[in-house]
Amino acid sequence: MATASPNILVVDDDRETRSLIAKYLRSNGCNVTVAIDGREMVRAMSDHRVDLLILDVMLPGEDGLSLCRRVRAESQVPIIMLTARGEDVDRILGLEMGADDYLPKPFNPRELLARINAVLRRHAAAQTASAINGATALTFLGWRIDFRLRELRNPAGARVAMTSAEFDLLRTFCERPGRVLSRDSLLDLTQGRNAGSFERSIDVLVSRIRRKIEPDPQDATMIKTVRSGGYMFTPAVDAVTTSASGRS
Amino acid sequence: MKLVGFLNLRGISGQIAALVVASIVAIHLILTAIFFIHRPDQPDPSIDRGHNQLAALAQLLGTAPAAERPRLLVDIARAFPQMNVERLPPESAVAAADTDSPELRGLHRRLGSSYRIFSLVKGEDAGKIGIALPDGAMISAKLLQDSRQRPFWMGTWIVTLLFAVVSVTLLGLWAARALTAPLSSFAKAAEDFSLNGAAEPLPERGPEEIRSVAKALNRMRERITTLIDDRTKMLAAISHDLRTPITRMRLRAEFIEDDTHRSRMLRDLEQMRSMLEAVLSFLRNDRKLEAMTLVDIATTLQLVTDQFADMGHKVAYDGPEHAMATVRPDDLHRSVTNLVENAVRYGAEATIRLTVSPDTATIEVEDDGPGISDARKQIMLEPFVRGDDARNMDEASGFGLGLSIARTIALAHHGALSLNDRKPHGLIVRIQLPVRQQSRQSAA
Repeated sequence: MATASPNILVVDDDRETRSLIAKYLRSNGCNVTVAIDGREMVRAMSDHRVDLLILDVMLPGEDGLSLCRRVRAESQVPIIMLTARGEDVDRILGLEMGADDYLPKPFNPRELLARINAVLRRHAAAQTASAINGATALTFLGWRIDFRLRELRNPAGARVAMTSAEFDLLRTFCERPGRVLSRDSLLDLTQGRNAGSFERSIDVLVSRIRRKIEPDPQDATMIKTVRSGGYMFTPAVDAVTTSASGRS
Repeated sequence: MKLVGFLNLRGISGQIAALVVASIVAIHLILTAIFFIHRPDQPDPSIDRGHNQLAALAQLLGTAPAAERPRLLVDIARAFPQMNVERLPPESAVAAADTDSPELRGLHRRLGSSYRIFSLVKGEDAGKIGIALPDGAMISAKLLQDSRQRPFWMGTWIVTLLFAVVSVTLLGLWAARALTAPLSSFAKAAEDFSLNGAAEPLPERGPEEIRSVAKALNRMRERITTLIDDRTKMLAAISHDLRTPITRMRLRAEFIEDDTHRSRMLRDLEQMRSMLEAVLSFLRNDRKLEAMTLVDIATTLQLVTDQFADMGHKVAYDGPEHAMATVRPDDLHRSVTNLVENAVRYGAEATIRLTVSPDTATIEVEDDGPGISDARKQIMLEPFVRGDDARNMDEASGFGLGLSIARTIALAHHGALSLNDRKPHGLIVRIQLPVRQQSRQSAA
């Protein structure tokens, strides 16, 4: 956990879903408050500090997207959207509205927990931020990784398919170029311990990423293996200004 | 009533009748025109010219003094060699016979009564005509008759007949086309009918019968589209609403203490989820399309391979490390995932193969299962058809939408999907996609 016990506000109009999410998150060490709609959400946020907001898109009255935009206008609190559909439009819209991540329903609760941890960690890192950590997209050697669209494009501009675990790991590398990262710390920075991952899975992910981005996966030059037991991302990384981001 | 209906010009029968009348009138007009152009009642001008020249020459000789005639004859022979005008010795008159042919009479009319005309029948002059000049001298000349001897196919009547045949044939063809074209377009429209509403409605024109058929077909199309739309909406709403209870169950399952129970429950829920996804994606495919973009499709295939390998299936990728193509990334991922899902369901091992040519990317998903008989291949591409109709639904089976969705996606990429046999047994599903799409694309 990035914070010892984060305060999470869950906004969902379905009573059972709401309370089940709350119960699940509490059992995993979070403090959870719930709200039925926008009005309750605003009240809860003014009552006490909220570290992270879980927002359902389909809400009675003011919908999730509009709430998301309103919250973002006033604060930097991380937001994870729960969408009814995993459709592209909803996804981009959610992220354009300022959400930090999204999860289509029905979701795997463990996935939700992993995303919560990832978002909180990123948020914490952004507080002490360099230019790279605040950026929505980074470039290295002509490659471009876009955190909002969660996509990687090669120097030719072609999208490279990745699982979300691969993407998160590459993101972690990109945000820490030129630093030796142990498997241990990589696990912490990406999935988190409680997601039931093993150090070996980092090796598998690294080899899969290498296969996709390295000119010669057998002789890796971008993600180098460090003998003492870790990896280092060697290319120079630049932040992309928001005006240059986005696609056609 | 029948007769009135028959005479109704807007009906097919009326139009046919009108067509027949029109062609008869057209033929008559053509005949009349040809008749007036050729005027068989008037003397042929080309014949006239020969006769006139001969008459003029005869008058020239007749009025010239006898002493100058030899010189004139030489001049004439030089100027009109084809007439072959010569002096005729007086004794030739014996061999001459007055002939009553219409040509000679015409010539005689022009020359006047002081000239006498006869045809020569004897010796080398046979076939020529003789003209006695007013002073008794005689000349012989050839009367040009070639213009009368035209080839038979140039004959006025033959030309007319040909014209008539050609025009009636053309009219007939045109009419047949005009009448049947709407019918063939109906057939095409019925074949092309798809539920995405992209096809144009049938044009409501032509004869009355055809227009009413077009109207009826268009109405039927609207009704079918509405019906399907309603059902689609209903199915989408149901699938959509099922997500809430599945989400709850997913969460609840996390609190099940018994590991075996929990994992079974999670498996069932996962199956339900994937079935819902399949239905929603099937319903969506006709309507909303993801944006095309340049994708490294080799990585997409590697991703699918890895995902299935992580679930414990034997799946291998065989192809280049990188290959660019303009596709809809999520659709392609879903399509290949569906195919591999089928492959590992029916076979022990699956291979995803990629071959790229400058124009086409060919993705093959191969399994070593029982394969599909030729007779069932076409049916298998239909939605809601499963390979194992007889078997009970086990934990791995879905709605039978996988292949159908994959094919719809391939078609939406202007590509194709085909089912092929693998030796010695098994199935190869081949997707061929154009590497570049004609439509506008974004490179970055």
